[in-house]
Amino acid sequence: MDKQQTKKSKFTWPPKFDKWGFRDRTNFKIGMLFLLPWSIGFLAFTLYPMLASLVYSFSIYHARQPLEFIGFKNYTDLFSDSLFWTALYNTIYMVAIGVPLALFSSFFCAVLLNLKVRGQAFYRVIYFLPSIVPTVASTILWLWILNPQAGIMNTLLGYLGIHGPNWMTNPAWSKPGLILLGMWGMGNTIIIYLSGLQDVSVSLLEAAELDGANWWQRLWNITIPMVSPITLFNLITGVIAMFQYFAQAYVFRGFQNLGYPLNSTLFYSVLLYQNAFQWLKMGYASAMAWVLFIIILGCTLLLLKISDRFTYYAG
Amino acid sequence: MKKVFGFLSVLMIVSMLLVACGGKPAAPKVLKVWIQWGDNPQQIQALFDKYTAESGIKVEVTAPLEVDKILPALTGSEPPDVLILSGGDLVKSYYKEGLVDELGGAIKAGNIDMNDFFPAPLDQCKSGDKILCLPWGSDMYALFWNKDLFEAAGLDPEVPPATMEQLAEFSDKLTKVAADGSTIEQIGFIPDQAWGHSELYMQQYGGFWYNEDGTKITANTQPVIDAMKWEQQFYTKYGVDNVLAFSSGWADAYMSADYPFYTGKLAMYVDGEWMTGPNFISQFKPEASYGVAPFPPLAAHPERANTAVASGTVAVIPSGAANKDASAKLLAWMMSPAIVAEEFCFNANLPTSKKAAEDPCFTSNPKFKVFMDLMKNPNAKVVITTPISLEFNDAWTLMEEKVLHTGADPKPLLDQLQADFEPKLADALK
Repeated sequence: MDKQQTKKSKFTWPPKFDKWGFRDRTNFKIGMLFLLPWSIGFLAFTLYPMLASLVYSFSIYHARQPLEFIGFKNYTDLFSDSLFWTALYNTIYMVAIGVPLALFSSFFCAVLLNLKVRGQAFYRVIYFLPSIVPTVASTILWLWILNPQAGIMNTLLGYLGIHGPNWMTNPAWSKPGLILLGMWGMGNTIIIYLSGLQDVSVSLLEAAELDGANWWQRLWNITIPMVSPITLFNLITGVIAMFQYFAQAYVFRGFQNLGYPLNSTLFYSVLLYQNAFQWLKMGYASAMAWVLFIIILGCTLLLLKISDRFTYYAG
Repeated sequence: MKKVFGFLSVLMIVSMLLVACGGKPAAPKVLKVWIQWGDNPQQIQALFDKYTAESGIKVEVTAPLEVDKILPALTGSEPPDVLILSGGDLVKSYYKEGLVDELGGAIKAGNIDMNDFFPAPLDQCKSGDKILCLPWGSDMYALFWNKDLFEAAGLDPEVPPATMEQLAEFSDKLTKVAADGSTIEQIGFIPDQAWGHSELYMQQYGGFWYNEDGTKITANTQPVIDAMKWEQQFYTKYGVDNVLAFSSGWADAYMSADYPFYTGKLAMYVDGEWMTGPNFISQFKPEASYGVAPFPPLAAHPERANTAVASGTVAVIPSGAANKDASAKLLAWMMSPAIVAEEFCFNANLPTSKKAAEDPCFTSNPKFKVFMDLMKNPNAKVVITTPISLEFNDAWTLMEEKVLHTGADPKPLLDQLQADFEPKLADALK
């Protein structure tokens, strides 16, 4: 490893092609050919639309007429649009409450599923099963689970003597309902945690056990620090996914308008969709997309920065 | 090996260029029809196959469509030749963006008889003296009531409420609350059952959220405020939370036997003509004993009896359609009375063609005939549309939800709506 790094490479930047041999050039060409499909896809379907949307975000977009450039007006309008703030609040609510809850409970489930008990494989399957249900189907299922009249959730709460809320019509309960739905389908996060748990060094755990550490001390002082890179990964992907939350909210309103009830499920991407495709304000929607991009970028960088304090990389 | 590879790539590029330069044939072989709704795409395809049989031109039907598919299709290089939308709400926005054609030329080319359209549904397509779309089928709303529940409450099961005031009295008699004082067991009337019907109530109060020609927002005028207050009482007097707990999830049960009107939980509500057709009540609750009548007027305004609001399917020609003549011919064929009668007889929707409405299938079912008569009535009204219809409708729905589902005072909310949308409409109409 070290030897290779210290050896001076003939591949410099910028490349000096004339110093390459025939084999290197051929390899380079073949390599480029392999890269080509991805590059074309990236340039045509990711980079170009992104740049185009940046241009649109400074204009009023007309499909069949030239763009009308209006400078930063879309952005300034955005900050005075009450719907924008509602959508941002709803989205941050989901990120701030939904993501940590999902992380905590999936870690908890993974720890349980990692216990050497009879039927371990069976339990693992049970917990993973919801993740293979398509989003739309699981959301419709949860519409029925959370139905205040006939739903199983309020029936169960009723047995405990709790008068269950109107999950779908009460704006205070619609987002918690969606968070529950999200926690039900987090098998993927559990699997990632489970693989991390199996990587925790047995010798460390045994050493701690010999030193008299109990289960909780081993979990807190060894397991949690050892899986902290996994936590960081799950946290960042969870935050990004939650900022882009759309499909469940789109389906969860049932027959009602988007955002029902009382715009409590009007999430950022939902408002963006409305502006773009229903109200035909593509320029405004592009500005929204860029603001979201900056928010997500900021959050990710912030998380990476503060992750030094809680993330431990072994080896 | 290298040479073979090079030869093959050249061959591929040349053949691709040949295909690309192939040019379009003069007469179209295939026409594309896109339909936003589509409970039964095969049936619609079968209908358009008749056009193929007559003209030799194949028609490809795509249905159903989400609204986010329509915009890329209209802006893309191969838009459909005829686009059929669920309502007229988006037509003026599309026209303003240059996505759909004004139909004057197509009407002339296809020799379409404009006098054959019922005026109310046609009105949603008019913008000044331009026609932007043609109505293909239409919906109207009326009052449905459960005769068994009327009888149980001591009301004459054959006599619906005669006025809006009486409707509220009937509703009280038809609402049952459990001994705990909050759990509702049966409710008399829900004003926004399945979705909002404020247009209808507002027309009974003599107003609408736009003025007649759609050039001004009139959201905070007295008729609008009064209509919202009338609707609100059905929530506030039985307790907003109690009604919401009772009616939650009802809209999602729309196409099932659990629909509250079938299960005897809801005594009166407003719904459309399709309910009386083969696919709804007669499928889910064939033994239901129910009546249908025009929504009653206010006691002070008996002249507004038989008022109903028409909305529904319209057809447009995308401005990017490849062969406008072929589109116009297909549109004219679609609008011919025989085709209108066949399609809407099958779907149990109201025909927009007066000649088609003569077909016995629209008059033989007395319950369906109630709606057919509303369409023919001079009090038939249109849902006025503007280039900002969809955005306004969404804001309206939110306002309506606040008034009905939280018990908020409608006046300040309507003032806010007025203030928000006055400049937007003025801007859109520039």
